[in-house]
Amino acid sequence: MMTQPITRNGGWTGFQGVNGDNAAATTDLINILDAVEFPIVVVRRDFGIACFNKAAADVLGLLPSDVGRASRDISVLARVPRLEEQCSQVIAGGVESRANFRAGDKWFVVRISPNTKGDGQVTGAVLTFTNVTAFRASFDQAIYERECTKAILNTVADPLVVLSADQRIQSANRAFYEMFGVSRDETQGVPLFELADAALGPTPLRTQLEEMLAGSHAFQPVEVDHVFAGMGQRTLLLDAHPLSLPGHSERRVLVTFQDITARKQTEAAERKRAQEKLRHSEAFLAEAQYLSRIGNFAWRVAADEITWSEQLYRIFEFDQAVPVTVDLIRTRVHPENLAAWQDVIDRARREGGDFDYESRLLMPDGSVKHIHMVAHGGRNQDGELELIGAVQDITDNRRSEEALSKAQSELAHVARVTTLGALTASIAHELNQPLSGIVTNASTCLRMLASDPPNVDGARETARRTIRDGNRASEVITRLRALFARKEAATEPVDLNEATREVLALSSAELRRNRVILQAEFADDLPPVTGDRVQLQQVILNLLLNASDAMSGVDDRPRQLAVRTERDERGSVHLTVQDAGVGFEPQNVDKLFEPFYTTKSGGMGIGLAVSRSIIESHRGRLWAARNDGPGATFSFSIPCAPEGVMGSRGFGAIRTPAVTNTEHTVRNS
Amino acid sequence: MITPALVSVVDDDESVRESLPDLLREFGFAVRAFSSAEEFLASSCVVQTRCLILDIVMSGMSGLDLQRELTRRGQEIPIVFITAHADKTVRPFLLAQGAVECLFKPFTEKALCDALNAALGAR
Repeated sequence: MMTQPITRNGGWTGFQGVNGDNAAATTDLINILDAVEFPIVVVRRDFGIACFNKAAADVLGLLPSDVGRASRDISVLARVPRLEEQCSQVIAGGVESRANFRAGDKWFVVRISPNTKGDGQVTGAVLTFTNVTAFRASFDQAIYERECTKAILNTVADPLVVLSADQRIQSANRAFYEMFGVSRDETQGVPLFELADAALGPTPLRTQLEEMLAGSHAFQPVEVDHVFAGMGQRTLLLDAHPLSLPGHSERRVLVTFQDITARKQTEAAERKRAQEKLRHSEAFLAEAQYLSRIGNFAWRVAADEITWSEQLYRIFEFDQAVPVTVDLIRTRVHPENLAAWQDVIDRARREGGDFDYESRLLMPDGSVKHIHMVAHGGRNQDGELELIGAVQDITDNRRSEEALSKAQSELAHVARVTTLGALTASIAHELNQPLSGIVTNASTCLRMLASDPPNVDGARETARRTIRDGNRASEVITRLRALFARKEAATEPVDLNEATREVLALSSAELRRNRVILQAEFADDLPPVTGDRVQLQQVILNLLLNASDAMSGVDDRPRQLAVRTERDERGSVHLTVQDAGVGFEPQNVDKLFEPFYTTKSGGMGIGLAVSRSIIESHRGRLWAARNDGPGATFSFSIPCAPEGVMGSRGFGAIRTPAVTNTEHTVRNS
Repeated sequence: MITPALVSVVDDDESVRESLPDLLREFGFAVRAFSSAEEFLASSCVVQTRCLILDIVMSGMSGLDLQRELTRRGQEIPIVFITAHADKTVRPFLLAQGAVECLFKPFTEKALCDALNAALGAR
């Protein structure tokens, strides 16, 4: 039986002939086969082409003349690898086989099926070609992408692992395997927590992973510390991201392990360094506060919260465990300073501002501490009224100031006594003169009364002179007592003219004895200065006696001594003592005022030093200048104190710097 | 009538010039008081003065200056020095210089009397 080639619709196929009875059915079949896009080729047992459909002609380029030819002679079929061998196996075994092959730029999968007759006899094979070019390309692309991804993941330093829904390891990167010291094969399908239970210990991680696998997207990164074989102690930051695959209901999770060991170490080192720096700076501050006896505080007024430094606890002798309150502080304030202290507190509560305040504390053991507080009250960043300040324990300063003041006072006394010692002769002279008058007058009086008749008028006259001379002697004593007396410094208005006149009266005999020619010029409009009259007189006396001494060896010129008072345009009062004595060398001008510097054989050298300290304590200046001619001029000036500045001294006052100076002045005087 | 002997007082202290002459007059002397050596020298009393009571320390010419001046002029007047400066070392020096006495103020009536007697008796 021969098969006629059937041509239909311009196409034809090389199917073998079909029985005429079945012609209609055959035509349908041929049509169906020609309509199929897949090339179909039927080969005989001898591998000759039996027939093929239209797509085989179109796609594989088979020609009608190829029917009957050996498949190996057909170039396109010759490319199918081991076609004849496979066909033989299919024909012999009756089992399908597949092969891939490429024709030009197309890829095909060839299905080789046995061609079985109705009687079960296998007459050949049917080759069905499926064009897989597009599929193959996307498959290749997928493989390529996958390889790329794999390469990328493997180059990522941080370990990564993908978990399946039951937390088993699906895949991981090289870093993961290296970190856990395992191979890919060992871990595939192994539950993550079985592999690294110790490393992933914390329950929160497990719970979070379970929640994420169940659909949650949130994951709070978890830090874990673990000692890895070969890597040592590492700190890892674990994070997880859900992976949803399109078309897959299964949820997977990508777990990333970020090695933050180095970062943590750096942070820890930095934190440690910062803490040490802070500790050091705190220690430094504490030490500084301890050494300077200054403590600081901050008082948030509205909240009544007080921050109190360690040194302040020491100064106030508070227990550091007890929170400091305004009431607690009040228990330490000296009762005499309570009112002033309360003023400060009230003002700070009301308006803030600047505070400079000295006060005393009364300690539980009865001792007294002097403190100096400087503070500023204002609004802080939160707009709250806050008083920030420092408190210094100035007890020692006070004590040394008092000791210094006492020593100065003693030195001044010594100087005064020394000066007056030099005046002994002059003092004796001043006293002997009136005493002489008294004795003589009394003698005369007695004689007048004893005469016959008694000279009563004469006696009355001499008795009156006796009284006058007695008063005169008394005045000398009074003046002397004022200068000799060692009493506390007084603060009073002093008429410098009057004070100078008194000193001149006391020393005039001494000056005369030294053949000093005194010239005094007193300004008429001299305002009073405020200070200690006796101290100022001591300075004047000292300057006069120095001038007199400086001229004791002068015989070639008059021993001129000029004393002048005047006021200057700045309102200061000046007193100058100008002599014609030996003067001083310019290089010694500074030494003159140094204690125990003297050019006199009998001098102690403290007169000018004490004088200068007295004048400075009156906020004045004492200086020396060489004359154009022979001799020297010593001068001092004292500002006329405006009223009110010389206020009463006392702690607890809110002070201004001017008042501070005044206090200092009075303290040192 | 016996003219009382003239005693001159030279002292720059006014109270001495007031009190001493009255006492001397009570003793029976004639007295003149001068406030300075220069005033005494310029007066007409120099030659009549039988005794000079002389202050040592005075502004201008001192008592010693006056003594020297009188010696220079050949006026040998007995001199009783008086001084308010209680410097005992000065007395032997003055006596060696020819003074009759040196009295330290305040001096007693008797001391003055003895000095005057010595001065006038020495004559």
